[in-house]
Amino acid sequence: MLKPKQMSRVLFVGHKDYLEPTIEVMHDMHVVHIEEYNEEDYFSIGKPLAGADQDSKTLLKLRSIANFLGIKKTYLEPTSAEKVSSELVGKLDELDSAVSEKLKRKSEIESNIKDTETNIQEIKVFSGVPLNFDLCRGYETLHVFAGTIKKDAEIEANLNRVTTDYQLYVGATGTIVLFVPAKHTDEVAELLNDALFNEVTIPAMSGVPDELLGELKTRRDMFVNDLESLSSEIDSMKAQYEEFILTSEELLSIETQKKEAPLFFATSEHAFIVDGWVPDDEFETLESRVKEATGDRVHVTLHEESTDGVAADDADIPIEYDNPKIVKPFEAVMNLYARPKYHEIDPTTFVFIAFPLFYGMILGDIGYALILLGIALYGRSKLHGEGWNSLFTVLIYCNISTLFFGILYAEFLGFPLAGLHGHPGLIPGWETIELFSGLGGEHITYPIHRTHLVTTLLVATLLIGVIHINTGFILGFRNVLTKHGMKAAILEKGGWMVLQLGIFLLLFGMMDIVPGMLPGAAVFVVAVIMLIAGEGGTAIIEIPSILSNILSYSRLLAVGLSSIGIASAVNIMAGMMWSSGGVFIIVAVLIFILGHTINTALSVIAPGLHALRLQYVEFFTKFYDGGGRIYDPFGYNRTYTEE
Amino acid sequence: MTIPVDIAAASVDNLIANQKGLIAIGAGLAVGLAGLGSGLAEKDIGSAAVGAFTEKEELFGKGLIMTVIPETIVIFGFVIAIMMII
Repeated sequence: MLKPKQMSRVLFVGHKDYLEPTIEVMHDMHVVHIEEYNEEDYFSIGKPLAGADQDSKTLLKLRSIANFLGIKKTYLEPTSAEKVSSELVGKLDELDSAVSEKLKRKSEIESNIKDTETNIQEIKVFSGVPLNFDLCRGYETLHVFAGTIKKDAEIEANLNRVTTDYQLYVGATGTIVLFVPAKHTDEVAELLNDALFNEVTIPAMSGVPDELLGELKTRRDMFVNDLESLSSEIDSMKAQYEEFILTSEELLSIETQKKEAPLFFATSEHAFIVDGWVPDDEFETLESRVKEATGDRVHVTLHEESTDGVAADDADIPIEYDNPKIVKPFEAVMNLYARPKYHEIDPTTFVFIAFPLFYGMILGDIGYALILLGIALYGRSKLHGEGWNSLFTVLIYCNISTLFFGILYAEFLGFPLAGLHGHPGLIPGWETIELFSGLGGEHITYPIHRTHLVTTLLVATLLIGVIHINTGFILGFRNVLTKHGMKAAILEKGGWMVLQLGIFLLLFGMMDIVPGMLPGAAVFVVAVIMLIAGEGGTAIIEIPSILSNILSYSRLLAVGLSSIGIASAVNIMAGMMWSSGGVFIIVAVLIFILGHTINTALSVIAPGLHALRLQYVEFFTKFYDGGGRIYDPFGYNRTYTEE
Repeated sequence: MTIPVDIAAASVDNLIANQKGLIAIGAGLAVGLAGLGSGLAEKDIGSAAVGAFTEKEELFGKGLIMTVIPETIVIFGFVIAIMMII
């Protein structure tokens, strides 16, 4: 529970004839984390099994089809692998021809649409010009100017000065088409230049622009319609083949994975060696199954560290969590930070306890707890996948804790449920009972009114901080002990604990609980010496961090108070509107709903992040390195097929 | 609650007893300015952290830690504010 799964290094050695059954067993058991062989020494990397090439080609084709049809991973009932593999080839050919026909049609239509669009753009400039394009070219004695000019340019007056022999057409967009005798070309060109003439090529089409435009637009619409009907055909194909594609993709992935496995193995001319890691509790089954499948012709052996001479490095051993089912969802929280290393304590269980506890302490409201529990339970039943499942399960744990603290604080959406000092609560007749006196003249009551018990709760949160941080130091002590021995553990981790003792003695000295400051100061100095001996001079710079770490736990109160603040502000605003009566009642309801929706969203983010931060920054830094390798066993998690 | 005070006639004790408004302003400044400080510090770290973990997702945890480190400043402000009010 507090340690990752124990792993052993395992070697498979055998003749190449038995490679396939060995791979079959390894894949089926899904427990061996294979170490990739890098070509060195005598051995070379293995070659894929026969048919790997064909399979990966088919897989590629299938994936490109899935991409074209836009198929995404969804949740399906698994089908029998045998059935899928028997249909695979025939159905894939059928699908392939259908898809390639559609693909061809699609690209044809798309290129038609593009061409038409370009033509429309070309002709649009000439809209309003009452001339067939055929009449605009092919003259020997005439020159045709077509293009745009500056607005309000009075070219006709200027033209008349050069020649009266011209024909001018002006289109709707201000484009001109001007016919002049060829001999005046240069003069007219100069004149047009002054009017900022910009030549436009006359399209190589025949017809009057406006008519052509109409025609082209109808054609374009036709193509667009074609495309739409084609995409609905594609959609129906997608629905028809979705299951086939998903299942066969999985099947082929598995086949390819198996056939390409030898690429990770070391092979000689006749033999192969597989090197990998296997959890201790799986080794015996693995050994007997490999022997059974190969008729005892493949040798399976544990790679003894002692005979090897070198102890395996922490970083080399793949890490698989070994937690009870109830703690599992919090592995996601751990993964966000880092996986533990092999010889480190796996703190998932501590996170499982402290994270929901802190979250609940911060939020502590029956109303929000019920809303969020509802959302989490609904979400967990609707959204599948490991990530979502962990997220919602963590949220459920957190809100069970919130519900508990909500009952302790008797808060409902920011309203106090019990009355206090003559102010009635939400439940009539429920009065707060005074239990005993707290700090600073405050009274500890049931239910606890957080806003009236700030000093006591502040001290309580700091004590929680001291406990949490010292749990971290104790875990750190153990980690250093296994790694560097007792002396280092006492100096590095014990020093910090002694330092806290010194600080407390100093505080008690100030409050006259212990006589004078001397005992505290002495312990403090001893602690500093221990730390310098353990961690070096930089430890001095780190000393104030212990105080800021402990003070940091006051957020357990602070964030909660701000959440109450927002909720009661919403309630007061809504209440004021409500008492105005009339239309304002609707406004009051709107404010109430909107305000509490926002605060519900904040109630996930703020307590969540702060509770998380207390784990990551204040707790983990005391003992945790992390950075272990992910255990990724050879095999496949089937979702769409079953054997 | 404001109680009208004739300053000229009031004793020193009486005046101090009526300083609650100033204490509240002080407490507000303690939290507010400390929060501003945290925010200024976090904005740079936060954007760098987001940049880092879009490149490499494993850095999320480390990035979050770096981002929330200055948050302690506002907690100090909060503690001071509480001490002032009490």
